[in-house]
Amino acid sequence: MPPQVLANINAKYGLDQALWKQLLDYVWGIVSRFDFGPSFVYPDQTVNSIIAQGFPVTLTYGLLSAIVAVLIGVTLGVVAAVRHNSWIDSLAVGISVGAQVLPNFVMAPILVLVFTLWLRWLPGGGWEGLGHPAYMVMPVIALSTSYMASIARITRSSMLEVLNSNHIRTAKAKGLPMRRVVMRHALKPSLLPVISYLGPAFVGMITGSVVIDMYFSTGGIGKFFVESALNRDYAVMMGITILLGALTIAFNLFVDILYAWIDPKIRY
Amino acid sequence: MALLDVSNLNIQFSTNSGPVFAVRGVDLSLERGETLAIVGESGSGKSQTVFAMMGLLAANGVASGSVKFDGTEILNAPPQVINPIRADRMAIIFQDPMTSLNPYMRVSEQMAEVLQLHRGLSKRSAIAECVRMLDAVRIPDAKSRINLYPHEFSGGMRQRVMIAMALLCHPEVLIADEPTTALDVTVQAQIMQLLADLRRDFGMALILITHDLGVVAGSAEKAIVMYGGQIMEKGPVDALFKDATHPYTRGLISSIPRVDRNDDLAQFHSRQPA
Amino acid sequence: MLIERQKMESLSEALADRVEKGRSPWADARVRFFRNRQAVIGLCLLIFVLAFAGFGPLIARWPIDEIDFMVMGDIVRDGAPSLANGHYFGTDDLGRDLFARTVLGTQISLAVGLIGAAIAVIVGTIYGAVSGFLGGRVDNVMMRTVDILLAIPYMFVLILLLVMFGRSVVLLFVGIGLLSWLDMSRIVRGQTLSLKGREYVEAARATGVASSTIIRRHIVPNLLGVVIVYATLLVPGMILSESFISFLGLGVQEPLTSLGALISEGAATMNYGTLWQLIFPLFFFIVTLFSFFFWATVCAMH
Repeated sequence: MPPQVLANINAKYGLDQALWKQLLDYVWGIVSRFDFGPSFVYPDQTVNSIIAQGFPVTLTYGLLSAIVAVLIGVTLGVVAAVRHNSWIDSLAVGISVGAQVLPNFVMAPILVLVFTLWLRWLPGGGWEGLGHPAYMVMPVIALSTSYMASIARITRSSMLEVLNSNHIRTAKAKGLPMRRVVMRHALKPSLLPVISYLGPAFVGMITGSVVIDMYFSTGGIGKFFVESALNRDYAVMMGITILLGALTIAFNLFVDILYAWIDPKIRY
Repeated sequence: MALLDVSNLNIQFSTNSGPVFAVRGVDLSLERGETLAIVGESGSGKSQTVFAMMGLLAANGVASGSVKFDGTEILNAPPQVINPIRADRMAIIFQDPMTSLNPYMRVSEQMAEVLQLHRGLSKRSAIAECVRMLDAVRIPDAKSRINLYPHEFSGGMRQRVMIAMALLCHPEVLIADEPTTALDVTVQAQIMQLLADLRRDFGMALILITHDLGVVAGSAEKAIVMYGGQIMEKGPVDALFKDATHPYTRGLISSIPRVDRNDDLAQFHSRQPA
Repeated sequence: MLIERQKMESLSEALADRVEKGRSPWADARVRFFRNRQAVIGLCLLIFVLAFAGFGPLIARWPIDEIDFMVMGDIVRDGAPSLANGHYFGTDDLGRDLFARTVLGTQISLAVGLIGAAIAVIVGTIYGAVSGFLGGRVDNVMMRTVDILLAIPYMFVLILLLVMFGRSVVLLFVGIGLLSWLDMSRIVRGQTLSLKGREYVEAARATGVASSTIIRRHIVPNLLGVVIVYATLLVPGMILSESFISFLGLGVQEPLTSLGALISEGAATMNYGTLWQLIFPLFFFIVTLFSFFFWATVCAMH
């Protein structure tokens, strides 16, 4: 490689600067312009363009998975606790124990095996945007199952505890129907542990999105992350890690606010 | 016919180490406007007896026998039967005011829902009625305090809220399950006085659960002494104090500290079913 | 007034009966354990997995990395599980014996779980005990640090480390352990705070025993119960993390393998009709996790 070319390349990526200056420029770029710099491997792409390409997809199925996990998990947990020791309780416990050993990277091949190879109901991968829900079904199920199970388990045990508490006895003594006792008096306190779990669940789902992107070729940032890891494209890796870290912190803040909103004893 | 008629009430709890018989063969009756005291040490089954009457046993508890309220069988009755009676005709005040109110709801909402449910009032008029009731149990500045959360009240004030909530529908029977144990001595006296006044004003029957024989002597007409899940002795309070026949009752009475005599405090030992 | 003498007698009889029935706490625990079906199933599964990992190499007829040229031409037809040619679980896509590789994968997964958990326990216990014992501003700084670290999606950091420093098994083991001590340290700190108030610790401090000695002699031994329960929960978590990374192809490298890597390979080839390449590793992965989760439940109960 002619020295002139090398010098040009070094100049483009800022590698001719002193190390501290490089770091400073990098950090300043992120803070001031939200600019993570160019990709080290693909000359025509910046980290920002890669994120812009993949992030909407990740966000879409991530949000869907979170909604599915919370809605189904909470419902299952509540019903199991209210009908304690019934068949639906056993079912809920069975699902939540079973799903603990079925993380996303185990769910994904099993789903494809059943729904694509055997039943031929769903496409085995790809992403066609919001208008094509068939492509979303398996990614969402694979990503949400284990968190749905955890949420169901947490809801069930906290609901059982709350239903045994004194203030629920008071609510029953008022003559309220069971449905109203559960919805108005028991639900809020039994959701508090679920809300604390949302933070770790969020981190887990973000991590899991990598598997989803790799296995279902959904084209989210997870795929870019693994590719950059295999190609040693540090700029992309750093960019994605920082972005997800920031998102996680923002989400934890949101969870804290939600917690304070539900529990009147917490005031900031 | 008695207002409340309990016969052969048995309560059993299933636990990990086998069934526990908490209450065995309890019979009692209560007339309109009467005060009945149930006395006994902790674990004697007195609280469980009244919980069973209102269908409030813990999930692992099973009750059998008969509880008739104004002629209607209410033991193990379906929700359609028991729910209209709860709080409307038969209300209960629990032992522990700290945990018996819902910590996540404003007092106004917790109280108002009783009237909304049983009287069909709008929220606004229900709250107005609740403020009047809080005034009646002598909570100062009820109008603004009603919008607070329970943890913003002191223990005595919370028990007053509980009492006000129980009285909202002017029930025919009020059950007070050790209403003063969790409170300071001075507050205890205030609450007992309040209960006596309210009972007179509203003309309701009262079941008073306590282990304080002083309270029994002061406010009840009839008394039941329970021990180990069974009724040991029952009858008019005067007779009970004058010549208690049962050794347990005598032990209980002699263990009351007295200022007019200077002897050692009597001790007596009892064993509860495990 | 009626004296219910009869009732009183029956009552005292019932009480006398109860006293006779005392049992020692150990016998009690044993009875509870065997009455709990979950616990027994968990124990059996755990023994099964350990036996598979331990005695598997003795049964395997093929080494982990030897390619069987007899089956290489047509894996779908010749590579299927068979007792005749010694490939009990069939072969992988390259013609290597899947039984031997599944045994190896299980061994590596178990090793990651145990070593990672051990590292997390050691680091977390020391950090939490020191933080809780010293208290005050030091405690505040140490715990806020943990809070901040907990907010980081650590899997990404681990992958970043693996890429920067090269993918070695040792780094993977240590990395997983080092990134999982945070919860442990929080739990230990909470326990330490409550232990610190106990009389014997205050007595030790009053007589001038050094802080390090108090932590070593009084605090740590009393933390053991909590630590053990949490450690058994950490093991399946570690196995999950390692399998996740290996599934992405970023973990254990050839010729070594782990259950995650085998599942990944099996999943990639399952639409060619070589389903056994997915089923066997998947089965052992699930059974391993299951047994540890059950075991953890039992530990938590006692």
